[in-house]
Amino acid sequence: MSEAIITLERVSRVYDTGKVLVPALEDVDLTIERGEFVAIVGPSGSGKSTMMNILGCLDRPTAGRYVLDGTPVEELDDNGLAAVRSRSIGFVFQSYNLLPRTSAIENVAAPLAYQGVGRKERLARAQEALERLGLGERLHHQPTELSGGQQQRVGIARAIVTEPALLLADEPTGNLDSHAGAEVIDLFRQLHATGRTIVLITHDVDVAVAADRQIHIRDGRIAA
Amino acid sequence: MKPGDLLRLAVSRLGTGKLRTGLTMLGVIIGVASVVALVSVGQGATSGINSRLEGLGTNLLSITPGATTTGATRGAFGSATTLTTEDATALTTLPDVAGVAPELTSSHLIAVGSQNETTSVIGTTPAYPLVFAYEMWRGSFLTQASVDHSLRVAVLGNTTASNLGLGASSIGSTVYISGLPFQVVGIMQPKGGVGFQNPDDEVLIPVTTARDLFVGGDSVRTIGVSVASQADMNTVTAEITSVLDQRHGIGAGGTPDFTVTSQTQLLSTVGSISTLLTVLLAGIASISLIVGGIGIMNIMLVSVRERTREIGIRKAIGARGRDVMLQFLFEALLLSVSGGFIGILVGVAASAVIAVLAGWAFTFNPVTVAVSVIFSLIVGVIFGVWPASQAARLDPVVALRYE
Repeated sequence: MSEAIITLERVSRVYDTGKVLVPALEDVDLTIERGEFVAIVGPSGSGKSTMMNILGCLDRPTAGRYVLDGTPVEELDDNGLAAVRSRSIGFVFQSYNLLPRTSAIENVAAPLAYQGVGRKERLARAQEALERLGLGERLHHQPTELSGGQQQRVGIARAIVTEPALLLADEPTGNLDSHAGAEVIDLFRQLHATGRTIVLITHDVDVAVAADRQIHIRDGRIAA
Repeated sequence: MKPGDLLRLAVSRLGTGKLRTGLTMLGVIIGVASVVALVSVGQGATSGINSRLEGLGTNLLSITPGATTTGATRGAFGSATTLTTEDATALTTLPDVAGVAPELTSSHLIAVGSQNETTSVIGTTPAYPLVFAYEMWRGSFLTQASVDHSLRVAVLGNTTASNLGLGASSIGSTVYISGLPFQVVGIMQPKGGVGFQNPDDEVLIPVTTARDLFVGGDSVRTIGVSVASQADMNTVTAEITSVLDQRHGIGAGGTPDFTVTSQTQLLSTVGSISTLLTVLLAGIASISLIVGGIGIMNIMLVSVRERTREIGIRKAIGARGRDVMLQFLFEALLLSVSGGFIGILVGVAASAVIAVLAGWAFTFNPVTVAVSVIFSLIVGVIFGVWPASQAARLDPVVALRYE
């Protein structure tokens, strides 16, 4: 039953500033299994944003091997990475990152458009996802007409509408008050209960405890 | 992403900033409208000039005196005074010639009561209306008898008559040309001006009378020859040349002291000039279309910059570079093509108004319209590709962090 969805082998990411080489990740080994709820915890500057970019296929490691859901990612070109993001990853951002001037349902439907799903089916699936997250009354609201907690729930609906193998959340509670933050964490627990793989990246140890496993990262290396 | 989705995105995006969209489109609208209007104006003017030139008589040959050469100095075209009324008379005997009308022209004050004006007084023969395609309105034209006896009779052009306050009842009344009394025998139908000269503002008197009273010599400015059939134009031209060569004592290889011009030559000259003008106008107008395109590029570059974060989001949720590229390209195309369509409407309307004001037939040229649409499409692609590829190349990590 235990099947690795993420495998990192000696992954490094070094930034070349032109004058000096700045290592952000060094020789990271990591395995996350399907259905796990993992928190990657570390202070700012620890390399966790780089970790998130690599895991999310927004960036490539400069060395090492990354296999996501059976696909060796480090070999892919930009279009290949985009295809992996489209198919296998759902992002939840700290600042929600909803498309401006675009209604909740259109926001949630947007990832499906890049998969080539027809408009009717897109809207139906987006509506279903929003209803599942309790936003059935807010389908046609603009992001500016929604509270922070609601916007983040739209963001989560957008992340799960494609049924991705991996849900990747970057400080999802960072812009929310404690009540709304707790609701979001609760949502993640519910999604985890339905079998979803979730990686939560945070600096907040109180948030991290919601996960089943915590991976601490410090100075570009996994600490524990 | 499917084309329908891209189009929907572009429409909703352009709908959110209507002022900006409108102003950006305005560049293309003005460009396309001026191309359409100016080409239409050029063509309308050309066909207007052509139809009036044809109104002069398409079977017309004009003989004008050549240039004189005194020593090393060549005189102006038409400065020779070698063409005479006798030449004109000699030409009437040629076969295939329907009529010959010399023009012995001088300028005089015409007076009736308190009305007066200075205009051309042309001494000519009864063939004048046939050769120059005039119709009589009232009375009759000059007769051969009036020429033979140098009678003091006059036929008035329509404009001249109305300037002098003469109407239908004025036939038989007296006008004074340079103080000498002439009897009005006829008034002609208006023919309409070619623009630079009003053919209805003239007074026609017998050629003999003009020679005796006003010109004092026998040299004519022009001899108009009407050829019986258009097919004989070249034959008749050759015949005229040989007759005049002989009369003027010009041997083989000598320089003739006259020129025979046909109406078709004039038409083709005018035609090529006005085509050149039309192309020139269209060229100037297309510059404004290019300026409009630069406006689109400018606004698209600003837009890419402003929407960096949106581009990052779209890439994070699965957009490939190509999807982002097409999204921005569609916006540029929508701007330029809808600007183009509005421009065509404006241009067609403007050319219709100009045609009405100028009094020529409104010509709608589907080719111009098609070319304008294609041109605005090309403008959209050319000036949209660069901003769109800028957008497509953005690094998603950087774009997502962009504030």
